[in-house]
Amino acid sequence: MVTQQKQVRDLQEGGYVMMDGAACKITHYSTAKPGKHGSAKARVEGKGVFDGKKRSFSQPVDAKIRVPIIERKQGQVINVESDTVAQVMDLDTYETITISTPSDADLSSEDSIEFLEMEGQRKIV
Amino acid sequence: MFPGASTAREDADYAIVGAPLDVSTTFQPGARFGPDRIRRFAETFDDYDRRTDRHFSDLSVHDHGDVRAWTDAAEYVEHLSGVVRDVVWDDAVPLLLGGEHTVSAAGVDATDPDLFVCLDAHLDLREEYDGDEWSHACVTRRALETAEEAIVVGARTGSEEEWDRAAAEDVTVVPPEEVGAWLRAVKEGERDPFAGRDVYLSVDVDGADPAFAPGTGTMEPFGLTPREMRGVVRAAAPHCVGFDVVEVNDRDDGQAAALGGKLLREFVATHAHGTDGTV
Repeated sequence: MVTQQKQVRDLQEGGYVMMDGAACKITHYSTAKPGKHGSAKARVEGKGVFDGKKRSFSQPVDAKIRVPIIERKQGQVINVESDTVAQVMDLDTYETITISTPSDADLSSEDSIEFLEMEGQRKIV
Repeated sequence: MFPGASTAREDADYAIVGAPLDVSTTFQPGARFGPDRIRRFAETFDDYDRRTDRHFSDLSVHDHGDVRAWTDAAEYVEHLSGVVRDVVWDDAVPLLLGGEHTVSAAGVDATDPDLFVCLDAHLDLREEYDGDEWSHACVTRRALETAEEAIVVGARTGSEEEWDRAAAEDVTVVPPEEVGAWLRAVKEGERDPFAGRDVYLSVDVDGADPAFAPGTGTMEPFGLTPREMRGVVRAAAPHCVGFDVVEVNDRDDGQAAALGGKLLREFVATHAHGTDGTV
C-alpha cells in the first residue's frame, strides 16, 4: 500500500491516516497534556474513506504512523447503471471504471465528477 | 481499580473512566482525589447484590483508570469526551468518576442523550461563572447544548438568573421535599419522564444533605437522603446511556466516596437488570 510515515503530532483534522489497516479521514484530533513524568498523547478519530467505519487511536505525539497517499482524480460519467453503480471514464488514463455512487448523488451521463483512488479502491466525492 | 471492575475492555458492558479535573472548584478543592477515593471506599462492599441476585464482578465492568487532568478545562473536556466516545463505540456504557462537575459535559457530549438528569444541590444553569463557561457551576447549561431537556433533582439553590432559566420548558426542578412524591408518581406510572428517551444520569454528591456526604466542594444544607438518591438512580438507570458520580473530595472520613461508589454499583446492578429491580 502506498503510504508515507509521519509523526502523530503532524496529523490534523481533514487529513488522512491509516487505522487498523484502513485509510481514514481524520474527523477529530485532541491532545492530552503530558504529566510531570509522561509524554503528551494524542487521540485521533477517523472515518474509513472507503468503508465509512469509525475508528480511533491514542498514541504519544512523537509516535510514528502511516499516512495513506490517496489520489484525487477527475472523471466523466459514461453510463448510470443503477442508483448505486455508475461507469466512469478516468480523465487521466481514459480507462473506464465501475464505481459505487453515494446515495445522495444525482448523476447523469457526461457529468464531471471527482473521485478518490487508492490501490483499486475508489470513492466519488 | 474499582473493586470487581476486572473485565477486559473488549468484553466490557460498562467502563469506568476517572476524570480528576479540579480547577474551577469555588470553595473546598480536592475533587481531583475523587476517583481514587471512590474506588478505595468501595472496597468494603459485598460483591453480591441481594435485590437483583447478581454479583457485581459478573456484570462485565472494566476500569479504564484516570484520564489525567490539566488546567485548561475546555481542552480537557474535549479530550475526555473522545475517550468516553471510544467506550460508546465499543458498545459499553460509560461510568465517569469526577472530578468536578464540569466533566459531565464530556459524558453528555459523547453519549448524545435526549434527557440530562442530575442529582444536584445547585441548578448549575449559569451561562458563565467568573467569566468561565466551563466552571462546574455551568454544567447543566452546557449539557442543555446537547440534550433537549434537563431534570435537576434535589436542587435547592441558584442565582436569580438561574431560577429564571429553570422556569423555561426544557428544565424541570424537583426540590428535595418533593422527591419522594415525584418518585412515587414515576413508580406508579402517573408520570414517566424517562420512557423512550436516552438518558444521561449525573450524580453530584452535593445533592445529598451534607450530613450524609460532607466530602464535597460546596455543601448545601436541606438536601436529599441517600435512599432518595438511590431511588432516582434505580428509576432512571434502565433508560441510561451514561452515568457519572462527581464532586467527591477528600475532606471527610469517606462518607461522600462511599455514597458515590454505592450509587455507581446500584446504577450498574439496575441497568444490567433492565428494570428498577424492585422485589
